[in-house]
Amino acid sequence: MININNVSFSYDKGKTEVLKNISLDIPEKKVTSFIGPSGCGKSTLLRCINRMNDLVETSMITTGQIDVMGQNINSKEVDPIELRKHIGMVFQKYNPFPKSIYDNVAYGLRIQGIKNKKTLDQAVERSLRGAALWDEVKDRLKDSALGLSGGQQQRLCIARAIAVQPKIILMDEPCSALDPIATAKVEELITELREEFTIVIVTHSMQQASRISDHTAFFYLGELIEYGQTDTIFQNPSKKRTEDYISGRFG
Amino acid sequence: MPHSTKNPFAKKQSSLEKKEKTLFSLFAFCTYFIIICASCIFLNIIWNGTPVLMQKGLSFITQKPETLAVLEMAKSDKYQVPSENFNNLLKSNPQEIPIKSLSVSEKQFQFVSFKIKQGSIIGDGYLLNIEKDNPGTHIKFTERKSPKLLGFNLENDKQFTLSKKELSSIQKNDPQLIQSEITEKKLSLNNKKVTIKAGEYPISKEAHDSLLKSDLIFQMKQSFPDDEPDKINLTVIPHDQTITVSSSVFYSAFDDEDASSPLPTTSIENSPFQKTITTFSLPKAHYKVSPETLKILSNHGIKHLHNTDLGSIVINEEIKASLTLDKKAYTQLIKDNPNLVTSDTKEHQESLSYTNFSIEKDCEVQLNASDLDIFSKNPNFKPSSKKTHSYSGGGILGPIIGTACLVIICMVIALFTGIAAATYLNEYARKGTFTKTIRLAMLNLAGVPSIVFGLFGLGLFVMLAPVFSNTPKVESKLHIPIISLGSPPELRTMEAEGIVAVDPDLSTSQAVATASTQGAKKFHNGYYYISFQGWGTCMLAGGFTLAIMVLPVIITSCEESLKAVPMGFREASMALGATKWQSIRTAVLPYAFSGILTASILGITRVAGETAPIMFTAAVAEKSDLPWQGIHSSGFSAFIDFLQQSVQALPYHIFTVAGRIPQSEYTRPMQYGSVLVFMIIVLLLSAVSIYLRNKVRGKIKW
Repeated sequence: MININNVSFSYDKGKTEVLKNISLDIPEKKVTSFIGPSGCGKSTLLRCINRMNDLVETSMITTGQIDVMGQNINSKEVDPIELRKHIGMVFQKYNPFPKSIYDNVAYGLRIQGIKNKKTLDQAVERSLRGAALWDEVKDRLKDSALGLSGGQQQRLCIARAIAVQPKIILMDEPCSALDPIATAKVEELITELREEFTIVIVTHSMQQASRISDHTAFFYLGELIEYGQTDTIFQNPSKKRTEDYISGRFG
Repeated sequence: MPHSTKNPFAKKQSSLEKKEKTLFSLFAFCTYFIIICASCIFLNIIWNGTPVLMQKGLSFITQKPETLAVLEMAKSDKYQVPSENFNNLLKSNPQEIPIKSLSVSEKQFQFVSFKIKQGSIIGDGYLLNIEKDNPGTHIKFTERKSPKLLGFNLENDKQFTLSKKELSSIQKNDPQLIQSEITEKKLSLNNKKVTIKAGEYPISKEAHDSLLKSDLIFQMKQSFPDDEPDKINLTVIPHDQTITVSSSVFYSAFDDEDASSPLPTTSIENSPFQKTITTFSLPKAHYKVSPETLKILSNHGIKHLHNTDLGSIVINEEIKASLTLDKKAYTQLIKDNPNLVTSDTKEHQESLSYTNFSIEKDCEVQLNASDLDIFSKNPNFKPSSKKTHSYSGGGILGPIIGTACLVIICMVIALFTGIAAATYLNEYARKGTFTKTIRLAMLNLAGVPSIVFGLFGLGLFVMLAPVFSNTPKVESKLHIPIISLGSPPELRTMEAEGIVAVDPDLSTSQAVATASTQGAKKFHNGYYYISFQGWGTCMLAGGFTLAIMVLPVIITSCEESLKAVPMGFREASMALGATKWQSIRTAVLPYAFSGILTASILGITRVAGETAPIMFTAAVAEKSDLPWQGIHSSGFSAFIDFLQQSVQALPYHIFTVAGRIPQSEYTRPMQYGSVLVFMIIVLLLSAVSIYLRNKVRGKIKW
């Protein structure tokens, strides 16, 4: 689904590279988690996939290419706006807009120009059900999204992302600001979403990675150290550094 | 551990403590100083302003500024004035007037309502009178014509003394006019023939004025100012001249004894001549004469409202509105304009209630100038003294409306530009030298004194800004012809604005030259021009000047509020496939709104109070019309005309009443009243905006 081929990336026009020759293939409808210590480049790689790094003016991919669904996403014919419609993203800090729950979920559809009330209603219900939030909020769709709890807000963000029916969902440490119970709910949700979407998740928690992901990639200082089945990585890592990190000897 | 008996925390340095205390009181005083100043200012204004508002009541903000007349009235006289004006009299006097024997009576007035038929011919003054009595009518015309006969009314027998030439002209055009005996008389007059050498000489204004009528060729080095009648200026006589002047000119300019600074002459000769004058008389009656005769007679004291130079007005356009005049004026109108045809004539009566009163003892009375006109129609009205104080009567409606208009126009421009610029700087522009330079420029702009903005606005908007017009000014800096379109404006506009129609085949520069030799202010040759002639002193120029002045404040605070919107909103929106502008519009600007509101509060209060920038660009001291009054166009062009109106403005009005007119006890209430109202308005404005902002803020939180 996503083929990353020998990618190097720099935030300052190639002076220093934060990603070095990364190559990995992310399979469809599976959960792939990126782990590694802070500053190892896992979030950067995630943001490369939907070209969010375009917002940083001096950033550039120095070598290699990223193909999503068989198309090189950095070619000139690719419109990043269209690309992002197919790749949803959930952020570390839950960031619903200060609007009603309904408006939050409908936001992505509205900016695509959909005004039909019926279509919007259906899409909102479908997305909220998909994000396992419908039963909790169905009676207060018009209330401000900021009145929800942290976990609910993060699930609302996921609902907002899936409302535009993307193929891929990128999650950048979605549970780092949540308490264990809310985390459990989000994790449960991710496991359910796997059936429909390709999910790439960046996480600091190795337990989380082992619990929810099918594949795991371990990054260290901008390099991909090891990538494989989650079970293999956690139980039988081939590299010494992976083993050290997973067993908590550093990081 | 053994305790020492000595207190380790004992006071040691009392001097330090003193210093502390002194500093404390200094700081405290500096803080309280603000409160002291503020309360002094506020109390003073409230103390002096409240009585004014109490006395004038609501009329203070619903009436336009007027001249106040202060009259010394003698004891008892029977007065009869319309009740409305009588009530105004009571209102405009702070102390009670000793008035006795009030009674109200009804007076009947005859009015005629009529319609003017197409093709009628009417004199200028008559048309103006009709429009004056029928507010809101504006009759357009496209043609002038001199009809065969014009009427005038001679109220008393009158004797005329004319030159022979004039008499023969009258006899030729109106042989029936003069029925009385004509006497002829020969007069011997003495002209002087003087020779002046070339050179520079000082002359007085009186000499200058009389020399203007003579044949002398001369040029003044300076013009005479109106306020210094005794000033002596240098004149240049380019070459030796010999001219013949009448004796009156001679005595005022050349004679040693009479003139204050006589021009030196090299020779003086008498040149006597003879003139025949004729005398006849006309009995009182109504006459119909030819325009030529009327022109001669009006040079000799006949009163009428015809325009004998340009000709009478032909009404080609159908006038649907029914017009009303009082019966006397209507009869006179029909008599004086033989070619005026009216239809649908209806007579009706209207009654007006009058109040009769007399004044018990000698007293001082204050009256607004408009009421004074009505009062002076009373035959008994003979005040023993009359003094006028400008702007001291009426209210301040004009300035309030003017300030409101200026603030609205300014804020529309400033907010639009400001938000756009702030969005660009914060969302689009690369962070670097460019944005740094712009910020530096903005800081500097914020520090420019407001008078400089006023002068800048004068130079740019009032005198240079481009105008799209088919009647560009002759003195415009640059004419760019755009499109040949449309017909010339109607004759009335052309006359009123000094527009001259020139041949469309001429090039622009030739057209300008032709028009300027004809003394025109504007020209029309069928083309629409972009003409760099400035907008004149108007609300639009003032609004733009004020907008430029507040832009730094607005941009800075808008940018701050944009910065305060979390980055996450932009990212979330972009990640959902929004374009840059979509995400700014839906996920950034709405949440910066409260900050932008704050910016506009700052802007509005500052703009409303500025005097210097509008002094040259928009504000006038005296204007009887509100900005939307006196506009005769319709639709979009009416809106443009509205924007091109000059206005009175509150701060400028306060400046005028407080500093530019002679001060007296009658102007003081106006000053304090204006200031108090101004302060209330600004405070109200701030209060409303703060309330709004808090409301918005309460709704949006993250």
